[in-house]
Amino acid sequence: MRIVVCMKQTFDTEAKIALTADGLIDSTGVTLVVDPYSEFAVEKGIQFKEKFGGEVVIVCIGDTQAETAIRQCMAMGADRAVIVTDPAMDGSDQSATARVLAKAVISQEPDIILGGFKSVDSGSAQVMLRLAEILNLPHVNVVTNIEIGEGKAIATRELDDGVELVEVSLPAIFTAQQGLAEPRYPSVKGIMQAKKKELKRLTLADLDIDPTSVGPANAKVKIHGLTLPAPRKGGRIIGGEIPEATADLVKALRDEAKVI
Amino acid sequence: MNATRQIYWNIQGHIAIYPLFLVAIVIFAYGFYLKYRLWHVGQPVDRNDRKGARAKSLIGFVLGHTRILRRRQPGIMHFLIFWGMVCLFLGTIVVALQSDVGLQIMHGPFYLYFMSLILNIAGLAVLLGLLIALYRRYIKPAEGLDNQPDDAVILILLLVIILTGFLTQGLRIAATHDPWAAWSPVGNLFARLFAGLGAATQSEVHRALWWSHLFLALGLIAYLPYSKLIHIGTAPLNIYFRSLEPNGALTRLDLEDEDLETFGAAKLTDLTWKDLMDTDACVRCGRCQNNCPAYLTGKPLSPKALIQDLKLQVHQQGKLILAARKTAAHPTTGEHETAAGSELDAGLDEQNLVGTVLSEDALWSCTTCRACMEQCPVFVEHVPKTIEMRRNQVLMESDFPAELNGAFKGMENNGNPWGLGWAKRAEWADDLGVKVVATDGAPEYLYWVGCAGSFDNRNRKVSAAMVQIMRAAGIDFAILGTEEKCCGDSARRLGNEYLYQSLAEANIETLNGYGIKKIITQCPHCFNTLKNEYPQFGGNFEVIHHSAFIAQLIAAGRLPLQAKLNGTITYHDSCYLGRYNAIYQPPRQVIEALGLKLIEMPRSQRESFCCGAGGGRMWLEENLGERINMQRTEEALSTNASCIGTACPFCLTMLEDGTKRKDVAENIKTLDLAELVQQAIQSAQ
Ligand SMILES: Cc1cc2nc3c(=O)[nH]c(=O)nc-3n(C[C@H](O)[C@H](O)[C@H](O)COP(=O)(O)OP(=O)(O)OC[C@H]3O[C@@H](n4cnc5c(N)ncnc54)[C@H](O)[C@@H]3O)c2cc1C
Ligand code: SF4
Ligand code: SF4
Repeated sequence: MRIVVCMKQTFDTEAKIALTADGLIDSTGVTLVVDPYSEFAVEKGIQFKEKFGGEVVIVCIGDTQAETAIRQCMAMGADRAVIVTDPAMDGSDQSATARVLAKAVISQEPDIILGGFKSVDSGSAQVMLRLAEILNLPHVNVVTNIEIGEGKAIATRELDDGVELVEVSLPAIFTAQQGLAEPRYPSVKGIMQAKKKELKRLTLADLDIDPTSVGPANAKVKIHGLTLPAPRKGGRIIGGEIPEATADLVKALRDEAKVI
Repeated sequence: MNATRQIYWNIQGHIAIYPLFLVAIVIFAYGFYLKYRLWHVGQPVDRNDRKGARAKSLIGFVLGHTRILRRRQPGIMHFLIFWGMVCLFLGTIVVALQSDVGLQIMHGPFYLYFMSLILNIAGLAVLLGLLIALYRRYIKPAEGLDNQPDDAVILILLLVIILTGFLTQGLRIAATHDPWAAWSPVGNLFARLFAGLGAATQSEVHRALWWSHLFLALGLIAYLPYSKLIHIGTAPLNIYFRSLEPNGALTRLDLEDEDLETFGAAKLTDLTWKDLMDTDACVRCGRCQNNCPAYLTGKPLSPKALIQDLKLQVHQQGKLILAARKTAAHPTTGEHETAAGSELDAGLDEQNLVGTVLSEDALWSCTTCRACMEQCPVFVEHVPKTIEMRRNQVLMESDFPAELNGAFKGMENNGNPWGLGWAKRAEWADDLGVKVVATDGAPEYLYWVGCAGSFDNRNRKVSAAMVQIMRAAGIDFAILGTEEKCCGDSARRLGNEYLYQSLAEANIETLNGYGIKKIITQCPHCFNTLKNEYPQFGGNFEVIHHSAFIAQLIAAGRLPLQAKLNGTITYHDSCYLGRYNAIYQPPRQVIEALGLKLIEMPRSQRESFCCGAGGGRMWLEENLGERINMQRTEEALSTNASCIGTACPFCLTMLEDGTKRKDVAENIKTLDLAELVQQAIQSAQ
């Protein structure tokens, strides 16, 4: 069984976000990590491999820094990886990412494709669904469990107020929600082995993609501006006897915070 | 008249002693050799450097009994038996020298004082020691002892040997009407028993007792290496070969070594020969266990059981390993044997230390508080074994309590176990205007804040107090700010040597890059690893713990402490400050200088009871047994002091948490020394 996992490198969730003078996200000194949702997918992929045999292939679009994230996945147990690095991808939107991923992913002839349902940074929750559309494969989104059967799979999909069991034929795409699998901590043995695993570096040209078809110019979504959230104000403790305090609280929620 | 006695009175053929002695020695040597071979299935380690210091250990700890005597009753018991037996042994040699070498020494005052009086006292001492031992084992069982048949055999054997000795002497005195009898008061007492017997009976009984005494004594020698008494040999060896490294330095793993198949200890053969010899030095006295916070709060860890279970493995597995190695070395010695050998090999692979010697729960229960090692009279090294097993679990198996995942990742990505954004590391100092090395240049003293002092709200107050103190004393200091990373102590003690080394190397690079020479820390864990372990990676700094630094400042009159604080305080010794680094007095000097009345807890200084957070336990849930911090908090409260003093961020957190759970935090404050000093400065200003 060949399992392909789409993995993105993102900012650490604790990173302090700042904007540059020209209003873009300032990435200097920021710790980069494996996108936590991608990481659930990687872990699930490795669990499948351990159970059914086969291999786990990581596919990633990113710059050379992303290779650290790939090695991390390999240390966890992924077998090899494909990374697409191309300056033309700079500023691409999700549609371009999905198109490029589609080529890279399908070249691996996967039985199962896994990814995160959203990434923790931009969090558009688009890439994997677009990928499914492009590849014309069935997909189940926001899954917390996947049971593999003969040529098919039953996935548990999280809904607002319950779960849905969805059966699909393989190959199919599943996007991970928290709870799908608890990522393992790599052993040193794994880290050492990861250094020697195959990492294939591709450009858009290698995938037969015209560099002018991606990038900001072709983006379907244009970002007009970024602003940081207002700094959180300290809380307020409403004291006094319970009946008065309750009245004060309701008043504050209605008049000051305007939430009720 | 020349004082002496006839040697071998009434004994013919005493010369048979020598061949018999030889037989005993051969049996003894063979037994010891078997043990020696078993220890050496372990890894090599050099423990024979600094011979002078090692010899000195022998004098203090073996001859002087300095550690053994720390516990009164068993200490005296051992002292009496040990020195009594040594004297009696010397006496036996003197007899041999006189009778068979021909040295004329058993005469005059030497005969009277040593050979008669002192040897009588020695025999009595052994007797007394044995009675204490019997009392401790069978009348009023002492804490931590378990009785095995071997214990009884040894005590009875020794008892009979001493008694037959006195009886033989008594008979000789009675029969020969020894004019010097008064110099052997005990023998003389026994002589009275036999005064009424006829000469023939006296001589017959004497002969029988003499030979029994001889056979029993030789039997004891032969039995030695097959019993607990092997410690007569292994204890001095263990003390001689003890680690002379700083208490707080774990060994460095060479993670780059491609030849290493495994990191840490998975199996018996991954431990060192010294680790294995430890098990044959252990006398099952239970001192380690009696002081172990994990054991005393009902967790499945006992350092004594760890060593005893390991001993079982050494003896069972060790034999199989030796046999298997032998077959491997001679593969052509017949099909049958080879088959057995490979079978053994296959069987051996299955025996992991974790699961047989120590359960997983026990492995992760250790706080590395070092109470066990501090108490062990024969210097058994418990903590390094635990760490080696943790290393294997983490580095090779990636098998550890799930809570640690977050702590490890936090240290990895953000340089702190909470995983809070590294960019926020210096926020505590934002309003204080503290100098930062990167912008203000290298200071005389680098103030190493540590993760707790940087991120934990409670401990940030301690950092602020330190800033105020150093300013009041006019110290030139600065912090690394966001360039500081976790020191790695927790990671190392949790077995994550890989993470530890990456943190240590990054910190050392930063520190060396700025040419830092002197470092002040407020966390004993940072202090210990920076001082004792960073040299392993090229970080050589003068590291000073804030308690010692403040004590120095006060002694030098550099802190304006006009106003005395009033009230009582009890001070909790942090393991990594106290047992690991012997800093017991400076905090007490500070407390005294502040005018506070110190009330010690029942367990303090060397015997201090861990708060429960060391060894990375800070980042683990405590689901088994009672909570360690609660036991310690109760002990602190039992002093009725109005304040609990600490000098460690983890202890502060654990004990304050304890007072909160007891609902007394309002009245009994838990404060770091720096905060107390801050109060005194503020009221002075
Ligand atoms: C700070 C930053 C800088 C970037 N710079 C570059 C750059 O210079 N050059 C460049 O080529 N790309 C770059 N990227 C990557 C690219 O812009 C994003 O991958 C793309 O916008 C994805 O959108 P999303 O995060 O909303 O995806 P989502 O749809 O929210 O992601 C969901 C899931 O899709 C999969 N996925 C998403 N993106 C990728 C990917 N890149 N590779 C593999 N799987 C993926 C993952 O499984 C992920 O969990 C950068 C991304 C970030 C965060
Ligand atoms: S180090 Fe402390 S917790 Fe660990 S075994 Fe020894 S006494 Fe017990
Ligand atoms: S390890 Fe040391 S302290 Fe513990 S039982 Fe053995 S000899 Fe006693």
